[in-house]
Amino acid sequence: MGSIFLATTECETKETDRTGCMEPIISTANLRKVYRVGKVDVPALRGVNFVVQEGEFVAVVGPSGCGKSTLLHVLGGLTRPTSGEVLVDGNNFTCMNDAERTKFRRHKIGFVFQRYNLLPTLTARHNIVIAQHIQGDGFNPHRFDSVAEMLGIKDKLNRKPYALSGGEQQRVAIARAVICEPKLLLADEPTGNLDTENSQLVLNMLRALNRDFRQTIVMITHNPEAASVADRIVRMRDGRVVSD
Amino acid sequence: MVYRMIFENILHRPIRTLVSVLAVAIEVGMVMLVVGMTHGMLHETAKRVEGVGADIMVQPPQASLFFGLTQAPMPIKIGDRLAEIPHVLSVAPVLFLFNAHGGINLIYGIDPASFNRVSGGFAFLKGGPLVNPYDILVDNWYARSNNVKVGQTLSLLNHNFHVTGIVEHGKGARLFIPLSTAQDLSGAHDKASIFFVKCTDPGYTHAVMHSIRELLPQHQVLSIREYMSLMTSNNLPALTAFITAMISVAVGIGFLVIFLSMYTTITERTREIGILKSLGAGKRYIMGVILREAGLLSIIGILAGYAGTWLVKRAIVATFPTLTVELTLHWALWAGLLAIGGSLLGAFYPAIRAARLDPVDSLAYE
Repeated sequence: MGSIFLATTECETKETDRTGCMEPIISTANLRKVYRVGKVDVPALRGVNFVVQEGEFVAVVGPSGCGKSTLLHVLGGLTRPTSGEVLVDGNNFTCMNDAERTKFRRHKIGFVFQRYNLLPTLTARHNIVIAQHIQGDGFNPHRFDSVAEMLGIKDKLNRKPYALSGGEQQRVAIARAVICEPKLLLADEPTGNLDTENSQLVLNMLRALNRDFRQTIVMITHNPEAASVADRIVRMRDGRVVSD
Repeated sequence: MVYRMIFENILHRPIRTLVSVLAVAIEVGMVMLVVGMTHGMLHETAKRVEGVGADIMVQPPQASLFFGLTQAPMPIKIGDRLAEIPHVLSVAPVLFLFNAHGGINLIYGIDPASFNRVSGGFAFLKGGPLVNPYDILVDNWYARSNNVKVGQTLSLLNHNFHVTGIVEHGKGARLFIPLSTAQDLSGAHDKASIFFVKCTDPGYTHAVMHSIRELLPQHQVLSIREYMSLMTSNNLPALTAFITAMISVAVGIGFLVIFLSMYTTITERTREIGILKSLGAGKRYIMGVILREAGLLSIIGILAGYAGTWLVKRAIVATFPTLTVELTLHWALWAGLLAIGGSLLGAFYPAIRAARLDPVDSLAYE
């Protein structure tokens, strides 16, 4: 399935190598990302080696500026790694151009952000539906109803983001992220803007998604309580994984 | 779904939407009104000349189709020689005077007897014919536009004229004075600017024109049908240039406003574009959203432009009854196409810019 996104011969070799054995959904090797700020190169990832199996719930923790968000952006195909290797569902992002990564993201990845990132002009319903529209498979009412029911937002669907609480907005954002049944859910500080009660609610929902639907989740957080709901905690410092 | 998002975006920024729609409406209105007024005035002028009832018109060499623009009168005796040509029923000499006081008007200096023979006579709505040297006839459009009544005095050409009658419009000019008075005022004694020639039968027009050309080889001899066909903007290079310039200005306004509007939109919505990209929206999708939004603004603007043009036309005609605004479906469609084309062109660069935004930077945009 993953091979449809592969772009180069090198990438095809890697696909062949994994035949016959259970491959991780995420695998990075010596992953580096350097940002150019003015005339200065700023390394954000300095050789990350990191593996996530399908169905795992992994929390990535570390202090601010350690490269957690950059790692998430690279894993989500939002930015291209500078060097190294990153395989997501068998696809080597190093070999893929922007359009190929966008297509991959559309079909395989869901994002949840700290600031919810809902489209302010659309209602909760349309914020969710637009993900299905962009994916191109059209509106699936059965899937929509079950996701809305599970996340407890059925009575909030006709409200615009400004009329929803932070917790409700984040639940809508989760609904939007999972509506297209992505292989991988990437959550960037999903409880960062929420109070304790709503944080627990959101974490419970992520946990339920992982438990009930074997949804693979990689969650970035610097909150140890939030990280504790994950199966595994990966610690980062200075652009490297220091413990796994 | 995309259209819902676009529709909500349009509603979300009402002032921006209003300015964009207004710019496109002005663009459409300018195109339709400039073309409508120039074509309308040309056609109306031509129809009035046709309404004189002549079959042929004879002008001096190098004379303009726009009567009154050239002052090169011919000896009035030419009229007698024209009248002797076989199949000529009557010849009406007319001297043009151009009045710029209190509005621009072409005045026909006419010999009432010959002019009536060619035209079949005026239809008097009020008053009666020219009798005294400083009598004047006005047509009903001029009378309504300037609130002129029979018996009042009109100050034209630095002289006071007595309004003796109001006639039905459509006999060449809107103002008529005696030929001898026109000759005195212009110092063109025994001269005429044009001869309107009526044949005994329209079928003799070409034969009579041939005879006139033999008699007056240097003069301009046109059948009224030829004159009508020449009175289009295509045959008037200066007018075509004017229309082209005005249309360019109008399209330029629409282009720039939509460009600025969509450029501002991209900056305002950088984060939203980042969100769409995180959901997997590709460059084509983003460009499609921006271009469709510009297109929708453009369509609303076009419809507003059509409605506005119709209202302005009514206002123009009510305020200036002598003006003719000819709105045609052909130019309405052209104005719409130009507006859509200009808008899409204006939105193209912002759309490309939006499509090229880096998703990570966009999501971090405050």
